[in-house]
Amino acid sequence: MDVLAGLMQGFGVALQPLNLLWCFVGVVLGTVIGVMPGLGPPATIAMLLPLTFLMNPASAIIMLAGIYYGAKYGGSTTSILLNVPGESASVATCIDGYEMAKKGRAGAALGIAAIASFIAGTVGVLGLMLIAPPLARVSLAFSSPEYFALMALGLAMVVLLGGESMVKALLATLVGLWLAGIGTDLFSQTSRFTFGRMELLSGIDFVVVAIGIFAIGEVLANMHERGGAQAIPVPRGVRNLLPTMQDMKDSRFAFVNGSVIGFFIGVLPGAGSTIASFISYGVEKAVSKHPEKFGHGAVEGVAAPEGANNSETGGALVPMLTLGIPGSGTTAVLLAALVLWGFKPGPLFISENPAMFWGLVASMYIGNVMLLILNLPLVPLFAQVLRAPVYVLYPVILGISVVGVYSTSGSLFDVWLLAGFGLLGYLMRKLDFPSAPLVLGLVLGGAMERALRQSLMMSDGHLSILVSRPVSAVMLSLAVLILLIPLFGKFNAWRLKALK
Amino acid sequence: MKKHLLCAVLLASSTAFAQGFTPTRPVELVVHTGPGGGSDVLARAMVIMLEKEKLLPVRAQVTNKPGGGGVVAAAYLAEKKGETHTIGIFTGVWLTNPLTSNEAKVSLKDLTPIARLLLEPAVIAVKADAPYKTLGDFVNAAKQKPGELKQSGGSITSRDNVVRQQLQKATGTRWQFISFPGGGERIAALLGGHVNMMVIEPNEAGEHIRAGNMRVLAQVNETRLAAFPNVPTLKEAGFNVTPVPQVRGVVAPPGIPRENVAYWEGVFKKLSQTESWKKYVEDNQFEDAYQNAAELTKFYEEFSNQMRGILQEAGVKTVR
Repeated sequence: MDVLAGLMQGFGVALQPLNLLWCFVGVVLGTVIGVMPGLGPPATIAMLLPLTFLMNPASAIIMLAGIYYGAKYGGSTTSILLNVPGESASVATCIDGYEMAKKGRAGAALGIAAIASFIAGTVGVLGLMLIAPPLARVSLAFSSPEYFALMALGLAMVVLLGGESMVKALLATLVGLWLAGIGTDLFSQTSRFTFGRMELLSGIDFVVVAIGIFAIGEVLANMHERGGAQAIPVPRGVRNLLPTMQDMKDSRFAFVNGSVIGFFIGVLPGAGSTIASFISYGVEKAVSKHPEKFGHGAVEGVAAPEGANNSETGGALVPMLTLGIPGSGTTAVLLAALVLWGFKPGPLFISENPAMFWGLVASMYIGNVMLLILNLPLVPLFAQVLRAPVYVLYPVILGISVVGVYSTSGSLFDVWLLAGFGLLGYLMRKLDFPSAPLVLGLVLGGAMERALRQSLMMSDGHLSILVSRPVSAVMLSLAVLILLIPLFGKFNAWRLKALK
Repeated sequence: MKKHLLCAVLLASSTAFAQGFTPTRPVELVVHTGPGGGSDVLARAMVIMLEKEKLLPVRAQVTNKPGGGGVVAAAYLAEKKGETHTIGIFTGVWLTNPLTSNEAKVSLKDLTPIARLLLEPAVIAVKADAPYKTLGDFVNAAKQKPGELKQSGGSITSRDNVVRQQLQKATGTRWQFISFPGGGERIAALLGGHVNMMVIEPNEAGEHIRAGNMRVLAQVNETRLAAFPNVPTLKEAGFNVTPVPQVRGVVAPPGIPRENVAYWEGVFKKLSQTESWKKYVEDNQFEDAYQNAAELTKFYEEFSNQMRGILQEAGVKTVR
């Protein structure tokens, strides 16, 4: 396929005034729902489906995709400002983003997040345009043993996320893994740790735990401070609210890392943006010259995960458009939309509907530019939120958290869970347990267990399947290497320095 | 909430003596999957069709109540006892899950049946370069290497596994069933050559066949589908197996007035006769299978008993 000719055709579609308008509508809507915790892209797109029947399909897919990648831009806002992850993909952004905000660098964090999103989002589209069909075929070689190895590699990142005490970090990870095990077992249909509660049958929503531990835990811990917590400083002047040249320079590698890792993990139907953002955060810290700054407001710690969750969008569209295989909730809805409009998504979709595909690709380039122009001016505006005194800010955070959780599930039970996890987050802060490992265990636990059991079913119970396949063997060796880091004195000194 | 319920009950009792029933506020359509899931897509298509064919004087909106494979949605409907403006779309899992899950206290039988709408056939597919040309080839290969061939599918109570259990029983063979949570992962596992066979929706298979990636060995249906005129049904392929249908239909909360039931029955009967519906069914290669409330109740019983037997034979613990 002649890429250039295709792209020309695509811009011909995407630059039609009406399509430009729909693209704009999509990215604005996306940004808005991304900023608000709770309502995510799948639900929004599903709600808009009846409306799309009044549009031509190319305009409709351009708008719906705009919502999808636009939401990734907005998702970082509440993570950075309020420590409330707007969606699961922006949990990793909380770790350094909120620390930056506490140091008066909220504007810089938001700005870097927008820039990283733009760069990685664009790289994701480039990847989708240039290597989608061959990549989709290669990705099929990836199956359960490889997923298990990928998750194991992700879990090994605990060593890098942990606090001073490795024991505490591992304990927190175990709690996370246990939480991941709650619900109905896919393979035997048996319920585990549900205590007879119907609400627990499908497990605990990751967002409930993340918002509870991060946002509520933080608010409780701050309220506990004698004499009241300090208000967060916000520098005056727009100039001081944007990232500096030094920030950009520091984030150079993070932009690349986030873009590449996000895209490739996005292509795999069984992974997802949350895992992409955590792995890219871990990689960034592992190769950093000053890992000690991570967790204390390192700008790369925002750039890497934010980049990863944006280029993941381009990646996730690869199997959807080239094979008709949805890899995430949002791509499943987009696929359903294509079917409802009368298309037949599958391996022949691109070659039979070139105007749709190239129009979409071109619109994504345009949409990412729109999002950057839209989001950068919002940065100083959003940063002002932190000027609010704590007695206003904290109730607002609590309110947003409760509304966010309730609006996803409409279940009061989840609100009680949120309160419980808030308390757990508070206790963990008081007892100096790191919260990131718990969240990581929860994110990876379910998928990791499934992948292991699927692998063992494939091999009739032989563990050798995990190491006899080259990709999985390489990833598992990497995981072991990372886990061994604390065992070597020399490395341990580096690690302790890293955490100081 | 309680107030709401009270209002609903009052409303219900007041309309019980009325001549007929017409909705006066937006209707809630409850589904048990998240956005993009099978019932969700059907519900959203139904909303569009109800509007286009002017079958409802009010708007209908979809409410997603995912969790526990229908358990949460069924419980939500049961809670809305007497509510006249809420209906739900059920599938077979609403009947199967209460068989295996203690927590699933509400079953379809506790709700008010309205109508059965669809049966969804499936096909048995292998990768295009697989050595099996017929289902017989696959079964023979499984006989030679018991437990070595693999099938990708959903949970063990899903139709995928039911078909496997039936075939295994009919032929005395055994192969592995590997559960994947997402439909995409199941197809990826087959196309990547990590499993040997899967039960797949005809539409999804159609595109992969056209692209030369897949081959269909048999149809899980009583009669041949229009899109697969040359592929034998299970019976025609020589396997004495009654295909268990994937069923979808409409239920309402318990304790609603008779007029209300009749109204919904009428709406969906009319819907099933419209051109839009017929086109939707044809496009998706579903089977039109309208049944009214009375017939549906009988269907529940047959389906539950059939499934209980199959699950028990599969070694799944049943609790009811």
